[in-house]
Amino acid sequence: MVTEQSTSIPLPGVNVVIKGTTTGTATDFDGNYQIEVNNGDVIVFSYVGYQSKEITYSGQTSLDVQLSEDAAQLEEIVVIGYGSTTKKDATGSVEAITQEDFTKGNIVTAENLLNGRVAGVSVNTSGAPGSGSQIRIRGGSSINASNDPLIIIDGLPIDNKGVTGSRGVLASINPNDIDSFSVLKDASATAIYGSRAANGVIIIVTKKGKSTFSATYDTQFSFGEVTDYIDVFSADGFRQLVASQPINNQTIDESLLGNANTNWQEEVFRSTAASSQHNISMQGSLLRVLPTRFSFGAVKQEGVLETSDFDRRNLSVALNPSFFDDHLKVNLNANLAFEDNRFADAGQIGAAMRYDPTQPVFDPSSPFGGYYQHRDGNIISIGTQNPVASLLQRNNTGDANRAYGNLNFDYKFHFLPELRAVLNLGFDQTKSTGTDINAFGTPNSNERLNFIGSFKRNNQIRINRLFDGYLTYKKDFDKVGAELTAGYSYQRFINNGKNGRNIRDELSVDDFYADPDIVLIGFFGRANISFLDKYLLTLTYRRDGTSRFGENNRWGDFPAAAFAWNISDEDFLKDSETISNLKLRVGFGITGQQDIDEKDIFLNRYRGGLSNSQYQFGNSVIQSLIASEINPDLKWEETTTIEFGVDYGLFGNKVTGSLNFFQKNSTDLLFTATVADGTNFSNSVIQNIGELQIQGMEFSVNTDVVNTDDFKLDFNLNATLLDREIQELALGQDVRTGGISGGTGNNIQIHREGEAPNSFYVFKQLYDPSGNPIEGAYADLNGDNVINDEDRYIKENPGANTILGFQSNIFYKNFDFAFNLRANLGNYVYNNVRSSKSQYALLLDNGIPANVPTSVLETNFQNTSDVITSDIYVENASFLRMDNITLGYTFNEISNSLKSIRIWGGVQNVFTITEYSGLDPEVTDNDSDLTLTLGIDNVVYPRPRTFLVGANFKF
Amino acid sequence: CTDDLNITPKDDQTTLGGDLFQNEGAYKQVLAGIYANLALTGTDGPESSNLKGIDAGTSQFGRVLLYTQTLSADQMIWSYENDPGTREIQRNIWTSQNPLLLGMFSRAHLSVALANSFLRETTDGALDARGVSANTRSEIVAYRAEARLLRAMAYYYMMDLFGQANFSDENTPINSQPEAYNRVQLFDFVESELLAIENDLPAPGQNEYGRADKGVAYMLLAKIYLNAEVYINEAHYAECLTYCERIISGGYQLADSYLHNFMADNNTNSATKEIIFPIVSDGITVQNYGPTTVMINGSVGSIEQNGSEVGVGAGGWGGALRVRKQLADLFGAGFNNDDRNTIISAGRPIEITDISDRDTGYILQKYSNATSTGDFGPDQTFVDTDFPLFRLADVYLMYAEAHLRGGGGTLSAAVDYFNNLRTRANNPNTITSGELTLDLILDERARELHWEAHRRQDLIRYGRFTGGSYNWVWKGNGSNGISLPAHFNLYPIPVGSLAANPNLEQNPGY
Repeated sequence: MVTEQSTSIPLPGVNVVIKGTTTGTATDFDGNYQIEVNNGDVIVFSYVGYQSKEITYSGQTSLDVQLSEDAAQLEEIVVIGYGSTTKKDATGSVEAITQEDFTKGNIVTAENLLNGRVAGVSVNTSGAPGSGSQIRIRGGSSINASNDPLIIIDGLPIDNKGVTGSRGVLASINPNDIDSFSVLKDASATAIYGSRAANGVIIIVTKKGKSTFSATYDTQFSFGEVTDYIDVFSADGFRQLVASQPINNQTIDESLLGNANTNWQEEVFRSTAASSQHNISMQGSLLRVLPTRFSFGAVKQEGVLETSDFDRRNLSVALNPSFFDDHLKVNLNANLAFEDNRFADAGQIGAAMRYDPTQPVFDPSSPFGGYYQHRDGNIISIGTQNPVASLLQRNNTGDANRAYGNLNFDYKFHFLPELRAVLNLGFDQTKSTGTDINAFGTPNSNERLNFIGSFKRNNQIRINRLFDGYLTYKKDFDKVGAELTAGYSYQRFINNGKNGRNIRDELSVDDFYADPDIVLIGFFGRANISFLDKYLLTLTYRRDGTSRFGENNRWGDFPAAAFAWNISDEDFLKDSETISNLKLRVGFGITGQQDIDEKDIFLNRYRGGLSNSQYQFGNSVIQSLIASEINPDLKWEETTTIEFGVDYGLFGNKVTGSLNFFQKNSTDLLFTATVADGTNFSNSVIQNIGELQIQGMEFSVNTDVVNTDDFKLDFNLNATLLDREIQELALGQDVRTGGISGGTGNNIQIHREGEAPNSFYVFKQLYDPSGNPIEGAYADLNGDNVINDEDRYIKENPGANTILGFQSNIFYKNFDFAFNLRANLGNYVYNNVRSSKSQYALLLDNGIPANVPTSVLETNFQNTSDVITSDIYVENASFLRMDNITLGYTFNEISNSLKSIRIWGGVQNVFTITEYSGLDPEVTDNDSDLTLTLGIDNVVYPRPRTFLVGANFKF
Repeated sequence: CTDDLNITPKDDQTTLGGDLFQNEGAYKQVLAGIYANLALTGTDGPESSNLKGIDAGTSQFGRVLLYTQTLSADQMIWSYENDPGTREIQRNIWTSQNPLLLGMFSRAHLSVALANSFLRETTDGALDARGVSANTRSEIVAYRAEARLLRAMAYYYMMDLFGQANFSDENTPINSQPEAYNRVQLFDFVESELLAIENDLPAPGQNEYGRADKGVAYMLLAKIYLNAEVYINEAHYAECLTYCERIISGGYQLADSYLHNFMADNNTNSATKEIIFPIVSDGITVQNYGPTTVMINGSVGSIEQNGSEVGVGAGGWGGALRVRKQLADLFGAGFNNDDRNTIISAGRPIEITDISDRDTGYILQKYSNATSTGDFGPDQTFVDTDFPLFRLADVYLMYAEAHLRGGGGTLSAAVDYFNNLRTRANNPNTITSGELTLDLILDERARELHWEAHRRQDLIRYGRFTGGSYNWVWKGNGSNGISLPAHFNLYPIPVGSLAANPNLEQNPGY
């Protein structure tokens, strides 16, 4: 009989084989087996996830065996592209983060498990419920093309683009289903993913089925609140300000003020936003032979902004059977996610800042649903509208249903067990439907649309299909170990949908859209050669084709090589008590980039105008056809990475960590740059021009400071130094970027050779003798006596040059305590809230009194247009923040079936220390396209401070 | 299966060039695309743009033309100087970085590219290969002439504004660096093209509304000849006058009412007799942030909130546009009741000392989204009003000017044409032949054609744009106006365009 060592539960399906033969059997449901053996035969008991046991038969009639979980081996395993390795054998910069290391707290989306946890990885999440994040590994190696890392779930590379109706591509994944992350940072590790690996790779491995039974139930409740508002004038303060008539040359009509005292920001935010999470998971052998995991999760999260909600239910099943004496392992992961969102327009936070605090929220005489509005009878005045009405009169919901998973066959050849064939079929489909309703009482300055509101439905479907297969040959010779892998990968992405018409407006029309499919095909190979287990060499090659480029430029070749030396295995260090592990790594590789918005720009295309973009001949409408910009020569952007790294372990691996130095050079940047006017169908076309260089250093240290039975203390510190610099741009030309609010088409940033991308490009403010800024007075930097665009200069950039993460866990008896800290240094933010709102002239919003930030008292500026490009709005936004702190207590062995209960409480967004004058130094966009507003603080959806309590039950 | 990498567009708005012309109706649609480039900025609504580096709305052809020809001179002020480029244009402190100049340069060149592409697709060889029917082929003759006309028109504006252009025709390869043409070369090309296509164009007023005919070609010829001294240092007033006569004899007539030209139904009311070439706008089907949308929403007063009178939201754009004092002064005594005087001055000082103060300076109510019958366009932002790029009144005044500058014709005809405009405006103060002077014509052009994108060209022809002989408020960034260096007669080549084609040379002084 074979049992599990710690629980004595019988193990079914254990392979029992006589070593060196093909004779064998497997245990039955009760763990029993029968086998005919001779004296002296060695019987091998093996089972997935357990340490194999070999016993020499010496005439027993029954042989009971206990197998123990192979924890040590599991821990060391690092999942890499198309395979796995061990920490010791890894040659690249790979960091594995398993459950114990996950960031703790109110984690709703998967990427937040990594927050501040890994050197070189930054995760920036908006405060909206279930919101997506901007993830950057080493700052991003592109300018115009995507800087998102490649995210792979159980072998399936997912599409970075979400659907309307969903909060983001990772928002539908239940963090509780995640077993581990592998973060692949350098080219030698990522190059096996060739074309999509330039920004690093995050491999997510979900939890699998096991043969022993266990179950967990986790629940948590949280309460979030907004901690800070933008300081605007109170109703009384506003009345006084208006009475003082601070606007030059213009009179504010005081009779337009009301008698109410309304704090509009308090009105648009919920006082507490409640959320709850429940997760149930069960693992065990289905029908006693089929290792299975089942989980169900439900999240309900209220946003702090009135009306915003996020609701998600996840079902996942993992089946992990083995056949033919473990020669064939099958892994099936099937997941369903049902995401229900109600979106709130974050722009109303800005409206709440602006709206006249002397006016009430409600007005019984108002024809606009009973909400106060600035109006002339039934006609709405232009300008800002009542933000409470805008939120409550709109019901914008999206339901996204996602089904994703993969089916993986891993076959070890019977005649040649060193050879494995792996086939992986992946599927990811998200269907979303959205309904956006504005109540009939919604005001509209267009009389035709006044009092009809709107009713729109949209839908979208994204499909991602994967087929890949590879062969791996692994054999250890005398001194040499070899593992050879070769494979093929095919992936297709499909996206289409409809932006529905306003069915209450007969002039409105539906807009159907469909992207060209994106097809990516790759051939890849890898050789891992080790000599004496001390000298490790990895060679990787991938050849990738993309449907994004024309026939002649479609294929790219991405080689990489890495060498590692386990110095600590050398004789002179073998017995060192200080140095228990020391490995030197050096890697070189080329990775590619093709992820741009353009999907068919190499084709000769014409585009017909939408219904509102037609032309008229002879007073009848004709659909115009306009040739689209074309670039048949577009090709791969390439990033070359060189890396030196040291992995170390000291004092019996009580202290471990890594130190990496790297340089990435992206050449042939996919960059939108000017073409000679008249020779294309745009003035600027995406081309392969320019070069970006990133240099950096990463350092991490993990320490078990104390590790006794009763008291454990560990911490992780990681630090990243980053420097991004544009080496070359198309034709040496500056490129303006960074659109801001306040004026049509204003840009505050620039790409310039020799500077960091997205550097702030501003005028140098002049000050009077007492140190106050003089409105509209700028330094004549080029000395030509004219202050114009040529006097702008570069002041800093939004990228942090130092990123720090720190987390610590303390266990004392049954108590556990954890917290983390994050800091960014040297990052700057353009305070667009102040620059576009904090001027006296804005006390009139299209003729009607409107509030402004109290910071106007600091500058006494009058007109936005005179000051919006001043350098005083570029502020140092370095910060130190504590994202999470938790305290828990565990009750053990409560009954036979209930093994433990852990009760915990915590706080999220505990504090932020910064000199930045805006609400939050970590700027996010309210839209999904985070890159466009890098470092520009418009009104952001605030991150709430959240108080949490929870309990985990283990069965 | 690496063949799967050969993808095709799936969107119903996108068609591959190879498939497009299987439908013979496509030729006219592609032609419409060249025209549409004057009104639309992209195919996906008014916010879309097929140009980059500039806000969609401010790359609209008519709008940047208005900015470069009118806002840069003495008739108009834009209140929101935080809209990039506007401050530099209206204060005459522009540089080669100016996004509005990029919009103008790139938009006009896009017309060239679209016309070239159409000409490539409609060669005899291409039509033979596709077996195009005789019927369609006979129509394509005019289409091709129209495409060449639109290309010539684009080069005309480049010649006028920048004095240079990338010269590409249907034989120029994609993404190449073409030769740069100077003013003399551009003049020759525009002239020879317009002469060459004359026979293929329909007679004046005989094409469908919105499409160009001989009248438009004549107008362009008359314009280049009138300004030939500026462009090529040669006088061609006789040719100017000849083509003015051809237009006038082409059957055009003044609209019944001056304001019909600027109303929502100017594509159907009596203005169709007068308008030689419009840039079409429609609140439903041709939405754009073009000159008429901008001027109608923009000229609603910050105090008056008079948007509902002109068929847009009551507040309009909060007082974005006002008039400079010099234009208001032209409507002094004798013009109080002139139909062309739509100035609203009550409660407003005439002076604009602070440009962002929208309560100062007079406003104007020339353009309207109301129809001649008292209805309004269906949309309250995107107006139905077509922009009258060329109209007969302009030709009348060009005739008079060309006559006075020695181009022939008769003084009596010149005076008659001049007086016709005043009479049409219900202004009884007609002039006698002795009173007709070049200065009067310049002033009358302002009274008749203000805010129609002609003013800078007129002032340059009269030698008053640069230098200090005529200073208007905010000229050269002085609140009362200061002298401008002569190099401001040309705009600088936009820095990005210059970099993309080293054959261009930056204009002197920039």
